[in-house]
Amino acid sequence: MLLQVLLTGVLIGSVYSLVAVGLTLVWGLMDIINFAHGEFLMISMYTTFWLYALLKFDPLVSLPIAVGVVALVGVLTYKLVVKRVANAPGLMALLATFGLSLFIRNLAQFLWSPNYRFVSESLLTDKRFIIGDLIIGLPQLVAAVGSFAMTLIIALLIKKTKTGRAIQATAQSKDIAELMGVNTERIYAITFAISGACVGVAGALLANTFPVYPESGAMYGLLAFVIVALGGFGNIWGAFYAGILIGLAETLGGFYLGTQFKYAIAFLIYLLVLQFRPKGLFGW
Amino acid sequence: MKNRALYLIFAAVLVLPFAITNVNFQHVMIMFLIFASLGESWNIITGFAGQTSFGHAAFFGIGAYTSTVLFYKFGVSPWVGMLLGAGIAAVISVIVSYPCFRLRGHYFAIATLAVAEIIKQLFVSWDYVEGATGISIPVVEDSFIAMQFHGSKIPYFLIGFALFFLIVMVARSIEKSKMGFYLKAIRESHEAAEALGINPRKYKLLAMMISSALTALLGTLYAQYILYIDPFMVFSLEISMKIVLLSVLGGLGNIYGPIIGAAILIPLSEYTRVFLGGTGKGIDLMIYGALIVLIACFEPRGIIGLLKKRGKKRGALYAKTNA
Amino acid sequence: MKRVMLLLLLAVFLVSTVMAGEVPVIKIGAIFPLTGPAAATGYKLKYAVEVAQEIINGTYPEIGLELAQAAGLPNLGGAKVEFVFADHQANPEIAMSEAERLIRNEGVVALIGCYHSSATKPASQIAEKYGIPFVAGSSSSAALTERNLKWFTRIAPHDGMETVFFFDYLNYLNEKFDAGIHRIAVVYVDNEYGVHAAQMVKEKIKNYEEYGFKLVADVKYPTSATNVDIEVQKIKAAKPDAIFHASYIGDMTMFVKKYKEFNVVPKAVLSYCGGYQDPQFVINLGKDADYFSGPAATTPALFEKMPILAKINDIYKVKAEVDIDGPTLEDFASAMVIAEAINLAGSTDPEKILSVLKDHEFAAPYFVSGKIKFGPDGQNIYSASVMTQILDGVYEAVWPETYQTKEPVPYFPAWKDR
Repeated sequence: MLLQVLLTGVLIGSVYSLVAVGLTLVWGLMDIINFAHGEFLMISMYTTFWLYALLKFDPLVSLPIAVGVVALVGVLTYKLVVKRVANAPGLMALLATFGLSLFIRNLAQFLWSPNYRFVSESLLTDKRFIIGDLIIGLPQLVAAVGSFAMTLIIALLIKKTKTGRAIQATAQSKDIAELMGVNTERIYAITFAISGACVGVAGALLANTFPVYPESGAMYGLLAFVIVALGGFGNIWGAFYAGILIGLAETLGGFYLGTQFKYAIAFLIYLLVLQFRPKGLFGW
Repeated sequence: MKNRALYLIFAAVLVLPFAITNVNFQHVMIMFLIFASLGESWNIITGFAGQTSFGHAAFFGIGAYTSTVLFYKFGVSPWVGMLLGAGIAAVISVIVSYPCFRLRGHYFAIATLAVAEIIKQLFVSWDYVEGATGISIPVVEDSFIAMQFHGSKIPYFLIGFALFFLIVMVARSIEKSKMGFYLKAIRESHEAAEALGINPRKYKLLAMMISSALTALLGTLYAQYILYIDPFMVFSLEISMKIVLLSVLGGLGNIYGPIIGAAILIPLSEYTRVFLGGTGKGIDLMIYGALIVLIACFEPRGIIGLLKKRGKKRGALYAKTNA
Repeated sequence: MKRVMLLLLLAVFLVSTVMAGEVPVIKIGAIFPLTGPAAATGYKLKYAVEVAQEIINGTYPEIGLELAQAAGLPNLGGAKVEFVFADHQANPEIAMSEAERLIRNEGVVALIGCYHSSATKPASQIAEKYGIPFVAGSSSSAALTERNLKWFTRIAPHDGMETVFFFDYLNYLNEKFDAGIHRIAVVYVDNEYGVHAAQMVKEKIKNYEEYGFKLVADVKYPTSATNVDIEVQKIKAAKPDAIFHASYIGDMTMFVKKYKEFNVVPKAVLSYCGGYQDPQFVINLGKDADYFSGPAATTPALFEKMPILAKINDIYKVKAEVDIDGPTLEDFASAMVIAEAINLAGSTDPEKILSVLKDHEFAAPYFVSGKIKFGPDGQNIYSASVMTQILDGVYEAVWPETYQTKEPVPYFPAWKDR
């Protein structure tokens, strides 16, 4: 029983993590609070669903397409909206992205009706492993592994590639980076694209098992804010571990203290941890 | 900004619902007063002191629930409940802020959000206050003591205006006082303020107490106006964010910001829904969202920034130093 | 340019709604969740009401309803009826202000709505304040008719009645099929709808002690849950025979998949008016939706037996692209009932309309009960529900036996055998 609860926590947490990784990049780099991050997730889920409904694409096949779509949406968000509010107090970007999230959410309803859609059959649907008493759903496992893999890719990208180092430099100091010849404009756009890509992967993986509807990204977005702060702003692995931690808090707390409290417990964990680590687990 | 502008605003606001007696308009005015006041209260801790709170709905809800529970369980007048609510909110804010103030910037902001969500969940699960089912306030005859009026909205409006006036004046006097100066110093830099001999903890707590108490007052008015509350309504992230957004829209850190922001945002959401909401396609919310984006992009320093720029000569040097 | 923007914004602030002028039609306010999490149901409720409007205002002699025979309301000179829609966004504050706006500015003579009990409460309180009749179609909380309101009526059975219905149905299964159902779990969303339903279960189960029903699990989950893994693990641990669900379509979909994944095989799953009744449930889940049950005011399987209902569905299906379901039929009924009441009153005077509402027995040939009559507390004394079970993708009516389109299956097969 406990083992199952722990496992579920890790599996759920991994996906939370991926969503948070996308958010922490943007937040850490630009000090921009992207309120529409949850809606990016929703766009990815809808993309996956429509490719399934209209073209019979399996979500795994749609994954790269969803990634591309949301990466593009991320870049557009930067160019059309965030750029204009980047120099203002951080809360202004919150205002702009909040308006954007409202817009996207209702655009989704306008275009696709508020009905709950569902990918009924995919390569992964209903498959699972049973090890003794433990049940491991394949879609969940793939989602967790996929989230970890994507996080790894992003982390390596940031650490090892030239673009990644340029992102790090810009995060440290925009002006100095520019002096060193970094095209910060391009870096910002790329970061938003990567942020979108993360969420694109998460959405395509989630679409295997979860219903798709205009509000489907909202809770993930909210949890992502807390996870990002818990891990330390701008810290990729911080966001990943924090996501797992929140997933575990949700399942353990939910199972032993009451499922209605599962999110409140996650929030409580945040408050408790930050008493001891005021800049998040790995913040500096 | 001079006194004249402020008194003009008060006068205009006071007169409008008598001039335009359309019920829906009066409703919008009342909502405007409530949210502008919420923005002013919020501004004290965020705009002045620089501690961004994303969880102010917690205090709003505490105010609403205190007066409501006291009224429907014990028949206590909501006026008494209102004051008690403010007191409880202040106490809660101290309990909550004390550990949270060691956090800075975004971490603090997220902490306030977490606190508000936890408080909401507590109320949802608390059977004594009816939990998720919410409380319908017993309907009584028109009465000042019971703060219920059924014939006309004007009494609600006047109470709202009184609170608005009070809160703006409190905010203004803080702004101009020594405390306001200290808060701004703390906002700019904790360390510098400490070096100057200011105790940041003390003043932040004080600002938080005042801010939360004032916020709670409005919770009572809201409850008495709607005559029904549940935790999802009054502790909502939506309300917390609305407060943030209208203050930011208008311009942070000065008392005209929330007024202007509320004057734009509240009617905007109301009228897009009234005119377009019936279609069921979400068009009204799309337009509302799009307009917010446009306004934010158009004037990233808030409407106040726009007005300030017009008031002075432009120059490259000025633009650079105008932080 | 910025100056223009500022002026435009000021103009937005100062514009007030246009007062309703001369009223050439009879306006009735209809407040529904047209955006937000319940919009998936809300917009279908709107279609249902629009269908009623069409039938009332047009001539449909082939439909055996009083107001379908002639155009408009005959006793008011053929005056047309116009339902004015408003969106409450699942926010009680907005429900209240929309109700007031509809009454004061639009001049509606009655209100219908709001689906969400938490929105119906303040909206009906406004109606009470202004002395305007309120006919709620599908809001299910028993609390609504416990408020001693004069102007409020409700068509759907409330969750107290439904809970009794659930237990009676389980008794029937036990007696007729020896189903052996005794362990009950209640799973519900943490809001007014869910919490109240659960309260009813805990209250009514006491009356059924002699039948051996026992509550073995009480699982409450937050409104925007991202997953239901832990909830299902808890349910599984309790080994219930029957699970009572108060869940919306999104949660219900997740629950079904999780039951399958964790191999939870109860004997019966009964759902209060929510996700199960949404046709999307079968569309989304295909075979996995089979064997789930729930009460419904109607089901497509009954169309064959009920020609008037079938004709109404024909008109509805053109708009909504799915068959009419329980809640939508209930709100259709509310629209028909209020129009009939106005017609019988022969006037738009609220008191006259109210006295018709309270005294008259309305013919409702689209419900299995055949009629609607409001008791002194405003509750429809005739329960409009049948118990349905999804078998082969069809919502079959399974109980009471008089309305049966198919016999119920009192157990769930193993998931892999579907």
